[in-house]
Amino acid sequence: MVDQNSNYALQTSEVYVHYGKKMAINNVALNFPKNEVTSLIGPSGCGKSTFLRCLNRMNDVIDICNVKGKFLLNGNVDIYSPDIQVETLREKVGMVFQKPNPFPKTIYDNVAYGPKIHGIASSQNELDEIVKDSLHRAGLYEEVKDRMDDIATGLSGGQQQRLCIARAIAIRPEIILMDEPCSALDPIATAKIEDLINELKENYTIIIVTHSMSQASRVSSKTAFFHLGNLVEYGETGKIFTKPDKEQTNDYITGRFG
Amino acid sequence: MLYLSLVFVFILSYSFYFYGKKRALSLKFKKNENLSSLPDYYGYYVVLLVFFPAIIIWFFLLIFKSNFQEMFVMSPVLFPDVATWSSGKFGLIMNKISNLSMIVNLSEIDLTVGDKSILKMASESEIIAAKNLANFDKIYGWSNLTLFIILPVLLGFLATKSISGKLNAQPIVEKIISYVIKGSSYIAIFITFGIFFSLVFEAINFFRYVNFMDFFFNTAWNPNRAFVINASEGFDQEALKEAFGFVPLLTGTLLIASVAMLVAVPLGLLTAIYLAEYASSKVRDIAKPIIEILAGIPTVVYGFFAALSLAPFIKDVGEGVGLPVSAESALAAGLAMGVMIIPFVSSLSDDVIKAVPQSLREGSYAIGATKSETIKKVILPAALAGIMGSFLLAISRAIGETMIVVMAASLRANLTFNPLEPATTITTQIVTSLIGDVEFDNPKTLVAFALGLTLFVMTLILNIAAITIVKKYREKYE
Amino acid sequence: MSSLEKRLAAEKRFKFYGMFAMTLSLFFVLILMYKIFSTGSGAFVRTTINADVYFDPNFIEVSSNSSKKEIMKASYVDLADQVINQNHPGLDEENFIKVREMYTRKFDYQLRDYIVNNPNVIGKTVNLDISASSDLDQIVKGNYPRNVPEAQRKINDYQLSILDSLDSKGKMSKTFNFWFFTNGDSRDPETAGILGALMGSFYALLICFSFAFPIGLLASVYLEEFVKPGKITDIIEVNINNLAAVPSIVYGLLGLGMLIGVFGMPYQVPLVGGLVLGFMTLPTIIIASRASLRGVPPSIREGALAVGATKMQTVFHHVIPLSLPGTLTGTIIGMAQALGETAPLLLVGMVAFVMEIPGGAFDPATGLPSQIYLWSESAERGFLEKTSAGIMLLLSFLIIMNTVAVLVRRKLEVKW
Repeated sequence: MVDQNSNYALQTSEVYVHYGKKMAINNVALNFPKNEVTSLIGPSGCGKSTFLRCLNRMNDVIDICNVKGKFLLNGNVDIYSPDIQVETLREKVGMVFQKPNPFPKTIYDNVAYGPKIHGIASSQNELDEIVKDSLHRAGLYEEVKDRMDDIATGLSGGQQQRLCIARAIAIRPEIILMDEPCSALDPIATAKIEDLINELKENYTIIIVTHSMSQASRVSSKTAFFHLGNLVEYGETGKIFTKPDKEQTNDYITGRFG
Repeated sequence: MLYLSLVFVFILSYSFYFYGKKRALSLKFKKNENLSSLPDYYGYYVVLLVFFPAIIIWFFLLIFKSNFQEMFVMSPVLFPDVATWSSGKFGLIMNKISNLSMIVNLSEIDLTVGDKSILKMASESEIIAAKNLANFDKIYGWSNLTLFIILPVLLGFLATKSISGKLNAQPIVEKIISYVIKGSSYIAIFITFGIFFSLVFEAINFFRYVNFMDFFFNTAWNPNRAFVINASEGFDQEALKEAFGFVPLLTGTLLIASVAMLVAVPLGLLTAIYLAEYASSKVRDIAKPIIEILAGIPTVVYGFFAALSLAPFIKDVGEGVGLPVSAESALAAGLAMGVMIIPFVSSLSDDVIKAVPQSLREGSYAIGATKSETIKKVILPAALAGIMGSFLLAISRAIGETMIVVMAASLRANLTFNPLEPATTITTQIVTSLIGDVEFDNPKTLVAFALGLTLFVMTLILNIAAITIVKKYREKYE
Repeated sequence: MSSLEKRLAAEKRFKFYGMFAMTLSLFFVLILMYKIFSTGSGAFVRTTINADVYFDPNFIEVSSNSSKKEIMKASYVDLADQVINQNHPGLDEENFIKVREMYTRKFDYQLRDYIVNNPNVIGKTVNLDISASSDLDQIVKGNYPRNVPEAQRKINDYQLSILDSLDSKGKMSKTFNFWFFTNGDSRDPETAGILGALMGSFYALLICFSFAFPIGLLASVYLEEFVKPGKITDIIEVNINNLAAVPSIVYGLLGLGMLIGVFGMPYQVPLVGGLVLGFMTLPTIIIASRASLRGVPPSIREGALAVGATKMQTVFHHVIPLSLPGTLTGTIIGMAQALGETAPLLLVGMVAFVMEIPGGAFDPATGLPSQIYLWSESAERGFLEKTSAGIMLLLSFLIIMNTVAVLVRRKLEVKW
């Protein structure tokens, strides 16, 4: 039974995903505790990104992708229910992608876009505040405060990714999904993003897909190991990395495959 | 006036955006209602509800202006028995009225005195109708303008009134826009239907006068023989049989197109090979755009060039070596057309040759083949399908080309395969039969549509074949 | 070893063929341009004859107090004859006609236009450059040979002697022919201008753009962004590719058969011409716009969707603005093609003799290319020049439009 007053931001069970006839996720159940960072790890093609994209229904965009399962937001909102508007869901569940994808607009407009379309700010001043605040939280404000009207694609890769995080924060989500957010970045930019994730977990539930096990151990408190569409093991990050229950997990962690 | 009213439609729709948004904002802040959508969307909502009905009515009034004019002038009030008139009589009277309308409003002409014969011959109601006709533009314009001030304002206020906090404007706006987008893409289909039906419809009319077999298999083309003997008997059936024979047009078209292809295929293909395989990038960057200029030059320019310089030049050269060459020889038109098609062949073949994978070239070089051997033995065979596709498209272009042959080829049909003799083409005859008097009840006009339909079918087959071949070819190397 | 030599010789030969073909193609461009420019440049210059014009009140029906309308309406034929008599004293009737032929037939209009602009001139003598007739113009420009028997000349011996005496007095001169840019068509080559045709083409292109651009853009958005690939899109796809290859004359038949025949739209007007050109341009725009939409990376769409934008917002806020430069480039290129299209204009009647400059899309008009065709069919040598000059103008517009298209692409297109 699902606990209505749980401390889980998101609960999933019996999740199956098919691409056409090919099965991508096979009966996965995972719960994500509030204000904690959960890592999804596993070899490429294991279904971790697919699973992540189910959580804000980004898979809806792909025609052949068929998602089944129970997804409960805050213990009571079924995110695949027909009454739920996918746009409202994505307002609550933000996402940051593998490659930074700022809009080729100004830095300001990038952050302001979400609040604008959701009508979050009722005045220009309020909007300015939201933009400033979001950039602050993303640790980018000091670097860009003098060039808010520059085109965002002129920023460095790490800055772009932090801008995308600011863009996701600006609509005040409860959960932020991150799909290998550092895979296109250099080590210094990666370190900055990791610090940022540590700060953000105060206010947000973060689910991060990563192929870097060291990153998972640095940023997350819970870790889930996926293999061939199955959830192999889930638990405290420390435990998964030191004495996993399953041999498969151990093999992956110790670098025997993947 | 019609344009002015269009401007009004735009301005009024635009201003209703602000009005709708203002209304939504006042609901939110003054009455503390919760809005289901962003205030902007209430603005868009009003704009769409004003703009689309108005613009559709505007187009309707634009397109059917002449029908309204006819209704207005030929009103049953003036001509009680108008419904019983034959279309011939209707046309005659309409013609008379439009002639009258040019003079009735000249203040210098006093309608009551003098012997202005045309006025004397006209009945009272015809003169009134003529006056109406003369004033029609003004009346139509003003009523249009009035309509397009009142209508948008009315629609705008109604739409704005329907705004409430509960009304979720965003999905409605998105729904309307999605219909508009969908409708736009269906217009492409409607155009094809339009082409097909307007050709088929008039071609069927043509075949009511002329036997199908006579048209496609007779070798004599003398459309001027299709005259009316007298009103009761209609067309001279014997003459009609001999008037519209399609065969010499087809041979002329094919003759000129062949000359064109003989020029364009070797030059275009060799140019493409040179540019793709031999030329340095510098030469390529300069030569390619210049050759593509040839494709951008309007065909009327080629026609002028062919008629002015090429034809006399060929005639002189021919006479110099003792060959009788016509001033309107198929050769001149074909050469000009060939030059026009060179870039067409070269740029299509260039794409095709470049699509051949580099590994094939390297394989050939690795066994010691020279560049030309590689091209001849490996690249061209690999690219053959694509190149054939581009040839087919070029042939289709040549067959459908109009201005060059209208200006440089002959108007007289001539069943010949000698390029030094004059020849005529399908397109030339379409233009000739439609310049001047257009009468939709005369086979001389209608034959253009039968020719057009034949041309359309011929090019359609070539195009579909070419597009399919090229598509298959692309898929092979992707 | 001789076999290798043979092969290398074949290699050289083959390369030479390729170079030869390319050079020949380039040569065609040059010769075409040379021919057009050498025949057309004369049209920008007009021969004039200097004459003292006494605006004799006895021969003018109006006074300096007359309204502009009255001045426009009055006849100045007698005044023109009087001017000729004054400048060539002692002509008998036969010679008078010969001399009159040396001046433009529109002599009286030229005088009228002068009075309209300077009403106070009546009763005074002014020194004016009067336009020569086209035949004289051609002799002066050297386009007609002088040393052929009189019977083969348009200008007879007497006229030549007058010409030479005028020339020796320094009365013959050449001026820039601004009439070519400000007049409508005319039966007389010296007064024929291109403005009417230019405006006709302008209105037609305006209609063409307002039809084809919005519909082409929205149709491509539907096909690329909204519809799932299937039967209907396949049909539309094949359809559009075919429409792009249908001969332009068939579009003309569509205009004549459907717009004029069925909808009863008027003949000879830019509205119909423009719509037909719009039908023709639509596939070009759709194809260019779809390619441009496909160039917008999916990550932009995902980014917008991930912050909760609807499909429609994603497309209208992000995808369309980013694809617009490509669409615009395609549109301008399509419009340039439409500007050069002649055959459809011929069929919808935009090829008549129209003197007035059209004031809108409902006025009878010709287009730039159809005017070129009309002039090329005229027998007078003077129109040959005009035809080439018209072509020069048309080509310059095409070059400008294509340059703008390239610039739009270079300056505005977002690189990924």
